[in-house]
Amino acid sequence: MIEIRDVTRTFAGRGGLLGRASVQALRGVDVTIPDRGAVSLIGESGCGKTTLGRILCGFEQFDGGDVVVDGQSLRELKPRDRVPYFRRVQLIHQDPYSALNPTRTIGQILADPLTLRARHVDADGDWVHRRRAELLGLVGLDPEYVLPRYPHMLSGGMRQRVVIARALTVDPQVLIADEAVSMIDVSLRLGILQLLRDLRDTAGVSVLFITHDVATARYIGDGGELYVIYRGMVVEHGSTETVIQQAAHPYTQSLLSAIPVLRGIEEPGPHRVVPTGPLDERVESPGCLFEPRCPFATVDCRTGVPALTRRGDTRQLHACLHPEHRSVVAVPVAGPAA
Amino acid sequence: MAAGAKAAQSQPAQSQPAQSRTGEHLEGSAAVRVRDLTVAFRTPEGLLPAISGVSIDLARGQITGLVGESGSGKSTLALTLLNAVPDPGQVTSGSVTVDGIGDVLALQGKNLRRVRGASIGYVFQASQNSLNPLKPVGKQLLDLARSHGVGDLRGLVREARSLLDDMGMNAERVLASYQHELSGGMRQRVGIAFALVLNAHVVILDEPTTALDMLTQSSVLEIIKKVHARRHLTTLIISHDLAVIGDLADRVAVMYAGRIVEDGPTQQVLASPRHPYTRGLLTAMPRIAGDIGEARSLPGRPPDLSSIPRAGCVFRPRCPLATEACAAAEPPVTVTGEHLFACFVAAKDLS
Repeated sequence: MIEIRDVTRTFAGRGGLLGRASVQALRGVDVTIPDRGAVSLIGESGCGKTTLGRILCGFEQFDGGDVVVDGQSLRELKPRDRVPYFRRVQLIHQDPYSALNPTRTIGQILADPLTLRARHVDADGDWVHRRRAELLGLVGLDPEYVLPRYPHMLSGGMRQRVVIARALTVDPQVLIADEAVSMIDVSLRLGILQLLRDLRDTAGVSVLFITHDVATARYIGDGGELYVIYRGMVVEHGSTETVIQQAAHPYTQSLLSAIPVLRGIEEPGPHRVVPTGPLDERVESPGCLFEPRCPFATVDCRTGVPALTRRGDTRQLHACLHPEHRSVVAVPVAGPAA
Repeated sequence: MAAGAKAAQSQPAQSQPAQSRTGEHLEGSAAVRVRDLTVAFRTPEGLLPAISGVSIDLARGQITGLVGESGSGKSTLALTLLNAVPDPGQVTSGSVTVDGIGDVLALQGKNLRRVRGASIGYVFQASQNSLNPLKPVGKQLLDLARSHGVGDLRGLVREARSLLDDMGMNAERVLASYQHELSGGMRQRVGIAFALVLNAHVVILDEPTTALDMLTQSSVLEIIKKVHARRHLTTLIISHDLAVIGDLADRVAVMYAGRIVEDGPTQQVLASPRHPYTRGLLTAMPRIAGDIGEARSLPGRPPDLSSIPRAGCVFRPRCPLATEACAAAEPPVTVTGEHLFACFVAAKDLS
C-alpha cells in the first residue's frame, strides 16, 4: 500500500523581466493506493495529476508531506535509500511510439532489464528467456511473433503492451498509467484497459490511472477509487461509480458535462455545468479555488476555503461549500440495436 | 438547412475578381461531391491504394463527420479535397467536385492555390502546433492575406477580429501574441479562424480536438457548432473518436481500410449501425453511461497499406460475421433511405 499524505510541490517561477510567480502544482494531496487497487486521478491539463505520478516514480521531489510505502516513510530516508521504493512503481507513458528504442528489437528491449533483474534474484540466462516469454504472454502478445520485431513493425496497441511488459520486468507493486490509452486506436483502447484491469489479478499490481477522460476510468475494474484534482487539490473523492453518478462538486460536474454525447444511443443529462471561463493559473482566490470559474459561486465562496467533507453517511468526500447533486451524466436511450 | 443552402449559393463577394467562380454548380444538396476516388501510394511493394473507390457527398450547410482509425485513409481523403495529396501518393481515378469551383483535381498552380484557403478552409491535425513560433499571430494573418492577394487588409483584420471574438477570445491580445503565449485550445481556435478568414464556404477540420483535454475539447466543439451555423458552412470533421463525431455531426461516414463502409444520418448510424465494424467500434468505446460488462474490444488490428486484404471484404479478418461470400468479392454498397453500408451479411439481414 502506498499512502500519499498531504504532499505539496511548488515550482519556482522562472526568471524573465516580469519575474513569473511560482506555481503550486500540489497543495496538500492525500491519495491512498491499496494493494491490487485501481485508483484514478482526473482533472484537466495542468491540474497536477502528472506531477503526482512523477513524485511516486521518484522523477520529481515533493516539498511537504510524506509518501509512505508499506509503512516506510520516504521522508525519513536519504534520497539514495529511496531508490528501491521507487523501483516498485513503474510508469507507462502516453506515447508508445516514442517510449521504445526504434533500433532495438522487442527481444532486446525486454532482455536488458531482465538481465539486471536476474542478478538481483540470482537467476541465469534461461530464466531471462523464460520470463520474457511469460511476460509477453501476460500482456496478451505472442512471443514468437513479437520478439524478433522492431517497434515500428507493431501497432500502437501492441507497442503499448510491450511497454507494459517492460514495466513488469522489475516486479512492480504499482503501475502508473498516465493517459496510457489516449494515443491508441479506438478499437484497441478497451483491450489495453482490460489488460490493466486483469493485471491487478494476474501480476498482483495496483493501477494508478491518470486521465482527463472520466469514461475510461470506469474500465479498470471493480473497487476503483476516483480522485478529482483541481489546481493541485483533491476536490472530490469516492468510488468511481459513485463519483460519476452522484457528483456533488461543480468542477466534477463540469468534467462530466464535457463528455461528448453519442446522439442516437445517449441523451444528455438534464443538467449541464459549464465553467464560466478557462483556467487562469495567475488568479489566486482567497476562498475556493474553483470560485472564479464556478457558475454557482456565492459571496461566501470568495472567502471560505472548503475542506474535504464527507457527504452524508457515504464514503464520498467533496470540497465545496454548497454541494448539490446535478444529473449531468448522459443516459443511455433504449438499447442500441448492436 | 434552407438558410445554409441560400447562403452558400450567394457567396460573399471575393476581394479578387480573378477568383475562378466559373466552375460548374453542383445540383442537389451536395456542396462537395467525391466520386469513385482512388488514391494510391508508390511503395517498394508497388502501387498500394490508400483510398479505394470512395464516393461521398458533403451536404451543403451540414456537418459531415468522417470517423476511422489510424491508416484508414481519412486524412488522405481530406487532403484530396484540396488536391494536396503528398508525394508519393497520387490520385489514380475519380473526381472531386466542389460547388462553384468544379473539378478540384483539374486545378493547378495559381488557380489551385487560390482555391485553397479562399474557398476551402483546412484546419490541420495538431494545428495548435502549426503556427510560426517566430511571428505574432497578427503578422501571420497578414502573410496569409498577402499570399492570397487580398486588397483590403483592414477588412480582413476586422473579419479576423470578429471571428476571434465569436470564439470567446480577446482578439487584440491574440493577434499580438506569439504562439507560445497561447494555450492549446486558443491555438486551435486561431487555426479555425485562419481557415475561415478568407470566407471559405467549405471547411475541413482534421482531428480538431485530439490532444486537448475534455473541458477544452468541449468548448472547441461548441465553437465549431456555433461558427458552422452562423457562417452557413459546409463542414467536414475528421476524428478517430466516434464520440466527438456523434456529438457534432449531422451525418457520419465510417472509414475502414480506405473505404467508406457505412454512411448515414448520425442518429440512425449510431442507434442502428449496419456494418459490423461500426457496431464493433461502438461496443469498444469506453463510455460514461451504459453497462461496462457489454464493452468488447475489437479483435485484430487496423490494417496498414500493405496488409489491406487484396480480395473480398477488407474487414473480413476482424469480422465476427464473416462468411465465404465475404472472401470472394467486395461487398457492394446497399442503400436504405439515406443510410448506406457495404456488407454482405447486413444486406442479407435486411432482405
